[in-house]
Amino acid sequence: MMSQKGSAGYVGKRVLRVDAPAKVTGNAVYGIDIELPGMLHGATLRSPYPHADIVEIDTSAALKAPGVRAVVTGKDFPCYFGDMVRDQPFLAVDRVRFVGDPVAAVAAETEAQALEALEKIRVKYRELPAVFDPREAMAEGAPLIHPDFEKYTRNIPASMVPHTNICVSRKFSLGDVEKGFAEADEIFEDSFSAQALSHVTMEPHTAIAQFTPLDGHYTVWSPSDRPQRLHKELADALGLAHTRIRFIVPYVGGSYGGKNTLRAEAIAVALARFTHGRPVKVVFSRAEALTATQTRLAAFMKLTTGVRKDGTFTARRAEIVWDNGAYISNAPGVANRGVLTILGPYRIPNLDLVSRLVYTNKETTGSYRGFGTTQVTWACEVQMDIIAAKLGIDPLTIRLKNAYVEGDAYINGQIMRDVRVKETIEKAGREIKLEKDSTSPSPTRRRGKGIATMLKSTATPTDSFCAIKVDMDGGVTVFSSSSEIGAGEQTMMAQIAADAVGVPLSAVSVPNPDTAITPYDHGVSSSRTTYHMGNCVQQAGRDVRKRLLGIAAEVLATDPERLSLFEGNIIETGVGQRMTLKELLSKKFNNKSGAIFGEGHFTPAGNPVLEAREGLKGISSIFWMFATHAAEVEVDTETGVVKVLNVAAAHDIGRAINPVGCEQQIEGSVILGISNTLFEEFKMENGRILNDSLSDYKLATMEDLPKIVSIFVEAEPDREALAVVKGIGEPAAAATAPAIANAIYNAVGVRIKDLPITPDKVLAALREKDNQKGR
Amino acid sequence: MKISIDIHVNGEQYPAEVEPRTTLLEFLRGTLHLTGTKEGCGLGDCGTCIVLLDGKPVNSCLVLAVDANGRRVTTIEGLAEDGKLHPVQQSFIDNGAVQCGFCTPAMILTTKALLDKNPDPAEGEIKQALGGILCRCGSYQKILNSVQAVGKGERK
Repeated sequence: MMSQKGSAGYVGKRVLRVDAPAKVTGNAVYGIDIELPGMLHGATLRSPYPHADIVEIDTSAALKAPGVRAVVTGKDFPCYFGDMVRDQPFLAVDRVRFVGDPVAAVAAETEAQALEALEKIRVKYRELPAVFDPREAMAEGAPLIHPDFEKYTRNIPASMVPHTNICVSRKFSLGDVEKGFAEADEIFEDSFSAQALSHVTMEPHTAIAQFTPLDGHYTVWSPSDRPQRLHKELADALGLAHTRIRFIVPYVGGSYGGKNTLRAEAIAVALARFTHGRPVKVVFSRAEALTATQTRLAAFMKLTTGVRKDGTFTARRAEIVWDNGAYISNAPGVANRGVLTILGPYRIPNLDLVSRLVYTNKETTGSYRGFGTTQVTWACEVQMDIIAAKLGIDPLTIRLKNAYVEGDAYINGQIMRDVRVKETIEKAGREIKLEKDSTSPSPTRRRGKGIATMLKSTATPTDSFCAIKVDMDGGVTVFSSSSEIGAGEQTMMAQIAADAVGVPLSAVSVPNPDTAITPYDHGVSSSRTTYHMGNCVQQAGRDVRKRLLGIAAEVLATDPERLSLFEGNIIETGVGQRMTLKELLSKKFNNKSGAIFGEGHFTPAGNPVLEAREGLKGISSIFWMFATHAAEVEVDTETGVVKVLNVAAAHDIGRAINPVGCEQQIEGSVILGISNTLFEEFKMENGRILNDSLSDYKLATMEDLPKIVSIFVEAEPDREALAVVKGIGEPAAAATAPAIANAIYNAVGVRIKDLPITPDKVLAALREKDNQKGR
Repeated sequence: MKISIDIHVNGEQYPAEVEPRTTLLEFLRGTLHLTGTKEGCGLGDCGTCIVLLDGKPVNSCLVLAVDANGRRVTTIEGLAEDGKLHPVQQSFIDNGAVQCGFCTPAMILTTKALLDKNPDPAEGEIKQALGGILCRCGSYQKILNSVQAVGKGERK
């Protein structure tokens, strides 16, 4: 049946993913699957030292090795890249700054030959003092990791502290924090840490690059979530016109924020420059993906919070030290956005926030599902429970009391709309029956429940462009640079296009991005895609529909106002179906071929970046994401092992475009959250990551799957879906960790403040608690 | 030195000469260009390269091509018959078990092997059977639902 808006109403329906048939048959082509004529294979020699000068590199023996076609070092290709600060060489120039820093690369006929040739490269290093803890790296006299920082090209405001490793320092204050503390009945001071994490995309980092010597063009096949940004980053790094570079995106085997900068791409591009036109494929080994791509920023957080007896917040001081690692990816954005949400979704009138991003001799860091929110939500929500326990207020009540409501002002003065955080708290709490105690199966297997909530912003303002083509047979193609990284982007775009144009979902195709063809999009990041690209596709769909109805009016000699397009049929008011879209276009093109195009461009209002400085007013986030997770866990007091039994995850999503996709995102993030909380961490020794395999870097498996209940909190049904839709990819990952920690406290009465919550930490905390009791 | 082998893959015989160290994964992806089988680690840790060897799931990165000589290999490309998807493939689509899709072939093949052995596995058995395949999108809930839905379908 035709809906009120004249579309079949694919938006909001549970539809099957358009990319699923290709993926269940093995027909989907990922980066690692691509083979090209004449293709060579690249391999990378990496630094064994965390900090050293390169005294000499001898590549002569490697060049003569069987099958070798090119060997490249930083001296041969002295270019630097970086989206925010251009501090990172494609291959180390004179100095290495972490164990794993690329030093030289080889292209050979086979991967085995490339790997064998690497062993013939001789490098002389002169070791330098290194620093691995960002708190030590801030100290006076710490070894300087980038003494030439001032000389780098920067796309972010300079806030580096000269002659230190502090590459970004930000302060934000609101109200009068001392007055706020004076008004408090209790002041809580707690320190927390959140660990570095690997994205562990199941498809390791991969790229193929081809350089055409005669016209100086680069073509790069890159499974990336931000092809247009990588395109720009590469053009800037090489000083080339954008038209000389092309990024072709295949299917992407996962990203989670991990495939948005030049990693395998940088090596492939540097090699391709020297292979006389032959393409070079670089596939990082799992060890390289774990140790030499990028990680989540580890964060060390100190929170001081003033609260009245009734649970009202009066003030918060927060100091965060973020571990940036050796080079800057997009960590300044993470550090900035992260610190500004360390108040959580709560009204705190007086704030004093300090955030420092510090270079260390470790793997580079950057965006990771949640973009800084996961780390600060951890601190914020565990302290919330500490406060609630001390004041004798239940965890649900204290959160509801302080939570933002519709029309509240955010800390930069932005009036917040579509605020449904309280509903998420109530619904998650109700689902897990937070008010009822868990029943523990035995004295040594204790069960407990906990809750945590969160707020997240999205990058604002950011741009999305797209085009829609309607072919003569009525087939619709959406040209968009939003990669299908697994989150259902193609399906979402197909649903919206089908509704906006007025064709069946099966008539819509959404090819993978190609920056030579698909227009600019900021990228699949920041949980922005459904809102931004969704609106953009809708606009392009409506544009092309209008053109089609104009053509129909001409062909049928009637008023376009009388016509509509529904499921591929031209319908005239009072007359009914006149012709199919295919018939119309056959007539229009005189039975030859042709196509009609529509275009879309969506950029919401907002300030370029919410700078962490006092007095900034405006729109820092076009929508605000809220979520609450409530967890039930079982703690084995003899082994310290924590098992998550139940998770209720309530998300303020505005409106579900495809409910199946929303469930996938929520369930998936809960698993990621459990994995991040209980299992994952890097074991390091002098800057070297010891657990560089998936047998040692532990992830959650299906055996760790709890019962997950996804709860959608949506806007009023009379509002248009795309006006109220919010992102869902990132918020889900933030609230799980503190919900689990709070449930552990509820079960066994110990507070773990440092992630991950491993059995040894649980046992140590239980022992400490027993000792205190005994005293 | 190369060794002659003759592997039966997806219903076809593939006589070939391989280096003794060639893994089944390398043979399938590199020689036969059957790229539906994925490589996630090459060390047997992630499970994304699972194929069926005489009907049983194996990490193809840990099996040498010569060890598969004369045996039956099923990859994801060999599951659909006459253009009709296998019920497990269809169930994964219908139940929303596919996200980035990189682990999907291994999950589907392992499920097929499980259901061939036991058409009505308990939840714990499913979790154990698929516990060796990592899915970073965290599709475990929907994969579990998909397996249970096929099981139910076959019971009818």
